[in-house]
Amino acid sequence: MTEFRIGRGHDGPARIGEYIMGTEVYNTPILTAPILSDSQVITYGTIGRVKIHSSNPHFLALPFETHIDNPEKLGIRKTDSILLPCLPSFSSLGYTAGALMLNHQMGVLDDLQSSIESNRIIIRIPEEIELNVFSSSLSDFHSRGVRAAALTFDGLLSDLDYNSFLQRRYLPMSWLVLALGRIAPGTVPLLYYMGFDVIDIGHAQEAAAKHQRLWHNGTESIQSGQPHRYCPCSSCQNLDRLESTQVVDALLDHNVNVYASILSEAQNAMVSGRLRWLVESTTHYSPAHASILRRIDREAYSFIEEFTPTTGASNVPLIGPESYNAPAVRRFREYIAHRYRPPAHKKIALLLPCSARKPYSDSKSHRRFLETIETSLGNATSQIAQIILTSPLGLVPRELERMFPAASYDIPVTGDWDSEETNLAADALVSHMSKFDSNTVIVAHVSGGYLSIVQAAENRISQSIIYTSMETSPTSWESREDLQETLGDLKDILAIKGSKPQELEEIVRATADFQFGPGAGDALVPEDARLGGKPYRQILCRVGKEQVCSYVADTGLLSLTLDGARRLAPLNRYWVHLDAPSVKGGSIFAVGVREADATIRPGDEVIVLNNKGEVTAVGRSEMSGREMCELDRGRAVSVRHKLEGD
Amino acid sequence: MDLAYEQIRNEVKQASIRARGESIPRRRSKSPTKPSAAWTAPSRIGSTKGTALSIVLSSIGCAHARGDEGGCTMCSYLLDGVNRNPTAEEFFLQFQTAMSQLEKLDSPLSVKIYTSGSFLDSDEIPQETRNRILRAISVDDRIKEVVLESRPEYVTDTVLADVRRILGDRVVELGIGLESSSDFVRSICINKNFNLDSFRESLLVGKKHNIGTRAYVLLKPPFMTERSALLDAQKTVTDAVSLGVTTISLNPVNVQRNTLVESLWEKGKYRPPWLWSVVEVLRHASFTGASTVNIVCDPVAAGKSRGTHNCGKCDSSFIDAIRTFSLNQDVRVFDSLKCDCWDLWKHVLEHEDASLQVHN
Repeated sequence: MTEFRIGRGHDGPARIGEYIMGTEVYNTPILTAPILSDSQVITYGTIGRVKIHSSNPHFLALPFETHIDNPEKLGIRKTDSILLPCLPSFSSLGYTAGALMLNHQMGVLDDLQSSIESNRIIIRIPEEIELNVFSSSLSDFHSRGVRAAALTFDGLLSDLDYNSFLQRRYLPMSWLVLALGRIAPGTVPLLYYMGFDVIDIGHAQEAAAKHQRLWHNGTESIQSGQPHRYCPCSSCQNLDRLESTQVVDALLDHNVNVYASILSEAQNAMVSGRLRWLVESTTHYSPAHASILRRIDREAYSFIEEFTPTTGASNVPLIGPESYNAPAVRRFREYIAHRYRPPAHKKIALLLPCSARKPYSDSKSHRRFLETIETSLGNATSQIAQIILTSPLGLVPRELERMFPAASYDIPVTGDWDSEETNLAADALVSHMSKFDSNTVIVAHVSGGYLSIVQAAENRISQSIIYTSMETSPTSWESREDLQETLGDLKDILAIKGSKPQELEEIVRATADFQFGPGAGDALVPEDARLGGKPYRQILCRVGKEQVCSYVADTGLLSLTLDGARRLAPLNRYWVHLDAPSVKGGSIFAVGVREADATIRPGDEVIVLNNKGEVTAVGRSEMSGREMCELDRGRAVSVRHKLEGD
Repeated sequence: MDLAYEQIRNEVKQASIRARGESIPRRRSKSPTKPSAAWTAPSRIGSTKGTALSIVLSSIGCAHARGDEGGCTMCSYLLDGVNRNPTAEEFFLQFQTAMSQLEKLDSPLSVKIYTSGSFLDSDEIPQETRNRILRAISVDDRIKEVVLESRPEYVTDTVLADVRRILGDRVVELGIGLESSSDFVRSICINKNFNLDSFRESLLVGKKHNIGTRAYVLLKPPFMTERSALLDAQKTVTDAVSLGVTTISLNPVNVQRNTLVESLWEKGKYRPPWLWSVVEVLRHASFTGASTVNIVCDPVAAGKSRGTHNCGKCDSSFIDAIRTFSLNQDVRVFDSLKCDCWDLWKHVLEHEDASLQVHN
């Protein structure tokens, strides 16, 4: 039996899984190489041209010239997977050539089908192929039972490699995806991040043959008699005393170890939600690493974002420009722009600087700001909208400060902003203020880089702006005095009256809109809703006698009850449609999902509908909506509440 | 050949035509009375050593390359030719210019006539010109061996009867670019446009007139991994020997201007064969055809990035060994070849073959 089973967890398209070849079960991600196999590496080679020493299953490549009149005689074992033939370089001739290569593989698949199950077949993706032809070929292969594909890399991170990264987007999510060719250790995290499950480390051998020792971020030339870097690995212990031929073997061992260690680091980072950070850190290995990630972020954003969980690590380092468009960051900016709606009738919009400590209101500076607001506005505090300016999230409304990644990002604080950060935040501010009444008065209690943001946005903002901290730090006594005075004056001028606190309603509404899209806040928190609890712990929302949702400060997210789900259902978002009348057990598996909303991301709160379209459960998604539809197995939803009885 | 192969072949043909571009009509104008090239080199003639004169006549070039078939994927020899076909007189002057290099040389001599096309194609070299050249050779007693190059379609009973009649009892060989014994490789990777049967027929016609066949075997056409290419060349040698060729001339591909190979090479999609592979094929040839077949190899641009090469450090020792072997047929000359790049070559054989990533 050959099968690829995808396990639980995501960080970007990266996933873990099991590739079953006969009785052997390989945990993915895994390395492959044309060298001796052990449990860390699947061996690959060309049919009829490699001596097969081990009983372990192999990936076997069929040479193009092979005649397949009698597949039994090719020497393929029941456990081996087969790489279909392709003419090297041929598809570089253009789209037609690429299509011909897929066609040819389809023909070979026909020839093999009688003796080799199609789930053991791996197709090779040509480097040039027109998208329509590519997609229709892929669905042909899929319908014939093919479940694996290989893409080629030349190690230069140039157009060929970039193209292979982009092509990966179009492969069905249930397929095993191999990266073959020359792959440097420093590219492994990016490959894994982009959803490659099997990574070729043939380069370990190539480098060893050239007397090169590989490191995570480059190579070192080893020459006898010359000093070299210290390496604690056992293969390197006697490097100085070895004969030339033994040196090659020792370097090979070392190089393979480097790949194994990097893959393990990447996998560990995926599990802890820090794979994106690891990938970003590789941008400093070389300009080529930096440019390929930037190009991929630009071109493949929607693919990466689709599999990026909506919750994540409790500490998210966002260090340089490559973080500005990290999916979790850009998505946050886009949700604020498209989903957030400020509470009506805010008379004042107060712009504040961010703080290192998260959530902001736990920081010393924000505690002071909050005191100042309280002092000047008293029981009219609810008439002020608080907006925290920050990079690279743009801005964070106070109500959403506990939302991922606002509550957990960590940036190097120097006070200097580059123009890209300033522009991102200025654009966010312009878009944000356009949602406020034009009579709202903006109080910009910011200085330095934050001030530059407001000034960059000023011409595009219709409201009037009062600056209270232009000369001194916003936390200084003078500035806060200035703020207090300004707010006090505004209270009088705008005739702001005291009203009952709205904080809990505003948090739950804003969170609902952010999580489920426009309209969700009104649906979950109607006028007659009753709310109780603390913003820093939990807020319960009831309508009538029924609890509809609860806000959990730790995650900044709402958990729905079945009642809440019924209120949201008409919005027609975040639904998972089952084949069955009800949910059994604590999990819903992909195989039982008829259809799912394509906007679902891993970690989202989702509404489960039964075969009649009625709300039957709520839970947390474990994969994206696309995967729920495409995968045949794996946990799709962890159920929180379900209808009992039927 | 089935439809899928036919489509692939057509794609290669179109790409060859594109690669050739306007290079043929834009050939530099050359004197029609001088050969494209002529050189002498020590050579094995029969079982002794002598001198061989190679003459490349300047003609309009190979019909297959001139026409709308696009020509062979690796060959632009016809760019050495001229756009107006020389007259009979001009051709003969070219020949005489070249032959002057043989003055003062001692027997045995060998004369090899190439045209960047087919010497036996009467559209390229008119019949009377051809026979006049052959007659000029026949009066020189020092010349013991004559090699004439042609595609198989021009090798006919009448033409060979003329050749044999004029050249008397000299050793005559037909040089034919078999390239590969695999019709698949010859048609798809090389765009050669003839099949193994035509080669076999030409060989038999030759035998009838006691004319031997010198098979040109190509090492590493495009669209093949180093190992596929190596194995194909070895198999071609085996097949050629059993067909009864008299000489095997191994030609490692070199990157010529305005060819499909060049356009791939420029994109990093092609690397000429390793010298290790050349040696490997020669060893195999020696083992397979020892004593019955002469095995020669004179690699063009060897040691350069456009020709067969190794790591750069060992190239000249390899090239020397190959030249020596071509003269004395003694395979032991290869035993002393050693270099660190052997590991890399072994890696390429294995890894490129399975990953299909071009190792250049």
